[in-house]
Amino acid sequence: MAPQLLQGSDAVAQAAIAAGCRFFAGYPMLPFTDLLESMARRLPEVDGVCMNAESEIEAVNMALGAGAAGARAGTGSCGQGIALMQEAIAEAALNEVPFVVFNMARGQQDYFQATRGGGWGDYRTLCFAPKDVSEAVEHTQLLFHLADQYRAPVMLYGDYLIAHTYMSVDVVPIDFGPLPPKDWALDGSLGGTGKSRQIWTWAMGKAGDPGPGPDLHWQRIAEKFEEMARVETRWESIDCEGAETVVVSFGTAGPFVEQVVGELRADGVRIGAFRPITLWPFPEAALAEACRSADRVLVFEVNAGQMIDDVRLAVAGRVPVSPLGRVSIDFSGMRQGEILTVPWIRDRVHQAIKEVKV
Amino acid sequence: MLLTGIGGQGVQLAAKTLAMAATAEGHQVLMSSHYGGEMRGGQTEASVVIADEGLRSVPILESVWSAYVMHARYWPAVADRLRPGGVVVANSTVVDELPTGDFRLFPVPAGQLAVEVGAVMSSGFVLLGAYGAITGLVGVEALVSAMRELVPPYRTQHLVVNEAALRAGAGAVTALDAPAPFGAPARSARASVGTAG
Repeated sequence: MAPQLLQGSDAVAQAAIAAGCRFFAGYPMLPFTDLLESMARRLPEVDGVCMNAESEIEAVNMALGAGAAGARAGTGSCGQGIALMQEAIAEAALNEVPFVVFNMARGQQDYFQATRGGGWGDYRTLCFAPKDVSEAVEHTQLLFHLADQYRAPVMLYGDYLIAHTYMSVDVVPIDFGPLPPKDWALDGSLGGTGKSRQIWTWAMGKAGDPGPGPDLHWQRIAEKFEEMARVETRWESIDCEGAETVVVSFGTAGPFVEQVVGELRADGVRIGAFRPITLWPFPEAALAEACRSADRVLVFEVNAGQMIDDVRLAVAGRVPVSPLGRVSIDFSGMRQGEILTVPWIRDRVHQAIKEVKV
Repeated sequence: MLLTGIGGQGVQLAAKTLAMAATAEGHQVLMSSHYGGEMRGGQTEASVVIADEGLRSVPILESVWSAYVMHARYWPAVADRLRPGGVVVANSTVVDELPTGDFRLFPVPAGQLAVEVGAVMSSGFVLLGAYGAITGLVGVEALVSAMRELVPPYRTQHLVVNEAALRAGAGAVTALDAPAPFGAPARSARASVGTAG
């Protein structure tokens, strides 16, 4: 198919449907609303269902229900609505129901929410942060695959720039290989036999069909997340080899930093850029390697300093880590504010690399 | 390029039409918009980046080669980002005082031409037709097709005049008077995408 000009939200909707998503539920909230509208328009065309729920809590539980029945399901909001969804996301992580949560965030202030989880229990949420619409199309498809592979709720961290920017993109279905059958999905066929399938966070089973119970069940889930942390980290590293300064950023801030770093590198400055593509699992080892020759690490994020904690953990005190960003939101409250521009970042990076090392 | 005007003049529709036409002609395109919550009367601005291949651009532009100016009220915000020697295609019917500066100005009486072809509401398309012809970025046929795709089914009564407007604009200027530069070489960075899996 030839590339089409698509709004990011519509491109993500098409990617979700290309990945087999057939159920979506959400409650309107900018800048997520356009994705909900696209799903509402496109899902019926493929005999799918899109529900405009009465609240985010209802929407996420609908997705949980559809996922438990074996459908590829999704939901979403922006950070404020995702906050309401935390209980259901935690439940789904611990009772192993896959679905994809789209956070079309109002900026970069949801990093902690995305990576620390706001629900109870020992769980993690696999989270991809695309840098632009093209990457969002790829990540959306991969997330549906990984959700099923690990039987876990997963997240896409988008924002206004992902949701509202138009780009010429070609949404081609990507084949990520075979997955095990969903022989755990509830289909009602064993109802009344005493052996009906169960999706239960405590996994205690029934008198005649006991389950492993919470201790074993949660240990196994913890091991699953450890395995994800080992194999699912993704990152982009640009000109970090031999770099004295490495600038770390995530999501749509990445291309801005990339442009500044590219200009400086062309001027002979030994500087590189590093971008975690997965926010959890955070690519700690790759970042440590990227900073091997660095004597300074700068973290540009449009918030009061959230990802910087993970950067500090990754470099483990070997290199000084300094923040470049700050809270910055535009007057509408829907998108990143004035600091997300090439000149602003360029000025701050210039200042930082001129500072005399103590 | 940047497109500027007052909400209601069709600036966003013009940007989308241009972006869709350029995509159909095989270019890589990125488009972003900025406008207020009000339907009409406020600041409206869009940016469109068109590349041959390997488009690498942020969606919030630091500087631009050209501008499409439907109204001058928000012109200063655009002037700040126009590169020296850039190209400005402006609607001279409503822009009372045409801006001056280090750029090449192409005044097009878009409002007047729109009235002449019976398309009083379509001056934005007149100016877009002119912009496409002057810069050679997109052909008028691609603009017409894109416009047809973008006009919703309940507004099809406007298709004929919109098309007339696009063609009137393209016909009112000298084609390729300011051809768009393509192919500024991108520095190749040593980028690597890694996965632990």
